[in-house]
Amino acid sequence: MRYLWFGSYSLALLLSACSSPANRQAGDPIRIRWARDPETLDPLVQPNQNTVEAINLLHLGLLQLNFQTSEYDPALAEALPAVQLLGDSLTQLDYHLRAAATWDDGHPVLATDVNFTLKLLNCPGLPSEGVRSQFGFIQQLQLDPTDPRHFKLVCQGQAPEYPWESGDFPILPEATLDPTHSLRQFSLASLQQAAKTPPTVLLAFAKRYQTLSQGYYPNRVPGCGPYRLAGWQPNRSLTFERKATWWADRLRPAPLVLQAHPKIIKYVILPDDGAAMLALRRHELDVYPAMQARAFQRLKALPFAQQELAFYSSASYDLLYAGFNTRRPTLRDKLTRQALSCLFDPAGLLAGTQLGQGQRTVGLLPPSSPFYNDSLPLPTYDPACAAQLLRRAGWQLVAGGWRRPPAQRLVLSLRYRANDETFETVALQFRAAAAKLDIPVELRPTEATTLNHTLHAGDFDVFVRILKGSPSGFNFAPILHSRAVREGNFVGYTSPTTDSLLEAIVAAGPPARKRQLLRKFQVLLREESPLLPLFFMSYRLAADRHLSHLLPSGLKPGYSAAAIISSDGLPAAPH
Amino acid sequence: MGFWWVFTRLGRALLTAWGIASAIFLTVHLLPASADEFTLGEPNELGSAASLRTSASRQAAQQALRHRLGLDEPVFYLTRTTGPPVRWQWHGRHNQYHHWLSLLLHGNLGYSYRTSQPVAALLGAALVYTTPLMALASTLATGLAIWLALGLVNSPTAPRRWQTVVRTLLTGIQALPLFSLSLALLLLLANRDLLNVLPADGMGADYPPLGSMAWVVSYGTHLVLPLLSLVLAVLPQLTLPLEAALRQELRADYASTARAKGLTSWQVAYRHALPNALLPLLTTFTGLLPTMVAGTVVVEVLFALPGMGRLLAGAAATHDYPLVIASVLLTAAARMLALLLADILYFWTDPRLRPS
Repeated sequence: MRYLWFGSYSLALLLSACSSPANRQAGDPIRIRWARDPETLDPLVQPNQNTVEAINLLHLGLLQLNFQTSEYDPALAEALPAVQLLGDSLTQLDYHLRAAATWDDGHPVLATDVNFTLKLLNCPGLPSEGVRSQFGFIQQLQLDPTDPRHFKLVCQGQAPEYPWESGDFPILPEATLDPTHSLRQFSLASLQQAAKTPPTVLLAFAKRYQTLSQGYYPNRVPGCGPYRLAGWQPNRSLTFERKATWWADRLRPAPLVLQAHPKIIKYVILPDDGAAMLALRRHELDVYPAMQARAFQRLKALPFAQQELAFYSSASYDLLYAGFNTRRPTLRDKLTRQALSCLFDPAGLLAGTQLGQGQRTVGLLPPSSPFYNDSLPLPTYDPACAAQLLRRAGWQLVAGGWRRPPAQRLVLSLRYRANDETFETVALQFRAAAAKLDIPVELRPTEATTLNHTLHAGDFDVFVRILKGSPSGFNFAPILHSRAVREGNFVGYTSPTTDSLLEAIVAAGPPARKRQLLRKFQVLLREESPLLPLFFMSYRLAADRHLSHLLPSGLKPGYSAAAIISSDGLPAAPH
Repeated sequence: MGFWWVFTRLGRALLTAWGIASAIFLTVHLLPASADEFTLGEPNELGSAASLRTSASRQAAQQALRHRLGLDEPVFYLTRTTGPPVRWQWHGRHNQYHHWLSLLLHGNLGYSYRTSQPVAALLGAALVYTTPLMALASTLATGLAIWLALGLVNSPTAPRRWQTVVRTLLTGIQALPLFSLSLALLLLLANRDLLNVLPADGMGADYPPLGSMAWVVSYGTHLVLPLLSLVLAVLPQLTLPLEAALRQELRADYASTARAKGLTSWQVAYRHALPNALLPLLTTFTGLLPTMVAGTVVVEVLFALPGMGRLLAGAAATHDYPLVIASVLLTAAARMLALLLADILYFWTDPRLRPS
């Protein structure tokens, strides 16, 4: 037994010596937590946010998102494109590429590469269906015979967001991927139409592209981004190494979106939140993004945390909201929907689920938006008002609940994604509030993969979900337009007035006009109440205190990995 | 027990595995949510100004995707129209099941919907982690169970204190769900507030050069927690029944005879009682074999192991059917082979059970 104790003690000492990581040393990689593998690094596929983040290190678009301003800045493009409206249905965007931009092999990035990339996105037989639908509005690229870095994009439709939406895709080299220029014989429009019966040349090209396996061996294709993939152990880690010479290093002053400081960025894949938190505390991680509210608060409260870690919280564009099925006879009238909206408690839910970290809102825009209608009151929990509104809607409280002629009974089913604490809390709060008014609510937590299908099918009365937005997300047609009823308009709300207002918002150019329309839209939304915005969520981030310039942002992934500056060996930067 | 018996059983096992995989294939296609929804990804809900047209373009993208994945073909040879009138329709060889089966017969498990990678490659990459870990855990657990059971029965008079403690601990561990056990170990051994002796970053990302002593130590350190969880999880279910079986055998006449001949209690238990006590537990031991290819989701998620359990759970969540079906096929085949192995071991250890 004595030997057993001695052995155990020695083993513990050995393990402790081997496994306790020291604090950050100069030149250490920046280790960032990811909850899941990117699955592929093919710029055409992009199945999840991590893929997008990784691809942005390898490749560059014409424009890149500036996390400091939450706006798009020129990257490969010299400046934002000049916009020219052609008639009343087309937009022309005039781009110039930077003269300094080159591929890893030293060849310049040219307009023909942009043209090739757009054709590649639309080439049948390639797994680019998702990206294809996103950039389907670009109909043509016109090359300039006198300037190989100048081109014009012709886009279908007119919208103020086109200038930056047209430049947000990674540009790939034509010389490597299509050395025989087989795609040059096809126009962009003909490729967009060729999906059903693709010519043999295109099928052969698609096969050739797939044999490159760029999704797993991205270094086979020269990029123009600041990093190259140095190692990938699927579901374990990805390592990116800064290129020794990168074309953007020569730019003075270097634009923020073209700065890349860390020599090595290492993404460590840790699916479990608890294990990731322990790893951060043990300095096995440097950056922990997208932290849960409770874990963030708990970590912040620990005595060592303030000396070793920095904490950031940014208002995101993800909105938690409740929707009502306006196709149901009981929920067809706005008074009933307004009444049920009064049974949600946004303030209490924000405090209960996010510990107050988030922003309440009057509509679908965040309070920071210049178009936010601050003259509207915030939605509040008011059961007395709910009862009053129900009576005005014709409901009568009789034995067994609320009834309305001819034979309607107010009984609700509420759907939400199962196994999510926030959704569950919202559902329970609503059920408890409704029970006080004798409105039975059946909670129907639904598995994530079938929830969308269930909502599409209209099998619900009320649902709770998150709406993913963006700073330029002023197009609410996908969730409220009558043409989107079989798509994202789960509430089934249709109204010619709303449709024309939504279309006018998308087309509105001058900010004053846009502001006027958006304020009107927020009033209309409150009045009609097809959905109830509860609050905007926050992105929380904890990082080693020796790291600075993370550019915490409300946009995914919530920080800029390439911008991080490490002050290892120096005193920790104040935050 | 001849070659033909083994061959027949093997054939039957493979047929059963194929039957299970076929049932899964047909069942997953009945799910309401279609695979292309997850493969295409979530639509950009508010960001795109071009979204007024996304309804049509998204539908076109979905159609193109379904065509590329072969999902626009009928599921089976025979399908029923939704009607009215309800009719049965024969599709010949142009159906998804026939395509899957043809590929399978050529040794091709298909391609992942989400990444277009060959399923066999994905399974292979996961098995590289799962099989050695589970094999090591099973071997350690089996060895430890035998050693503990022999120790627990080796008390001439009243039970010693350590035996009572071990028995109580084993009973307590058996009552714990695997998740709680693994989490407790992580919080106990990789926590700055308690014992800060083991890493918390799963399999880690920074390793010394491959093959060096430092690499072995570093790799071993990262393996301790998952291995400990897996061993402790199965240890009680192996040890406690084995101890009971040993006690029963030690009360038998042949054990008394052995003791009367002057053998020590350890010799009686190890040489005479153990082979007989192991017999009823052979199925339990061989039952560990399927986990070598199926993995354990809980342990793999908590300790960030890129194994089969995580792969299967991820594939199921994203409706990556080729991956789900291949994993099920593999696990079912392993289960069938484990049963066959149990039978062979029974026949080998007890000739009376052999088929005539």
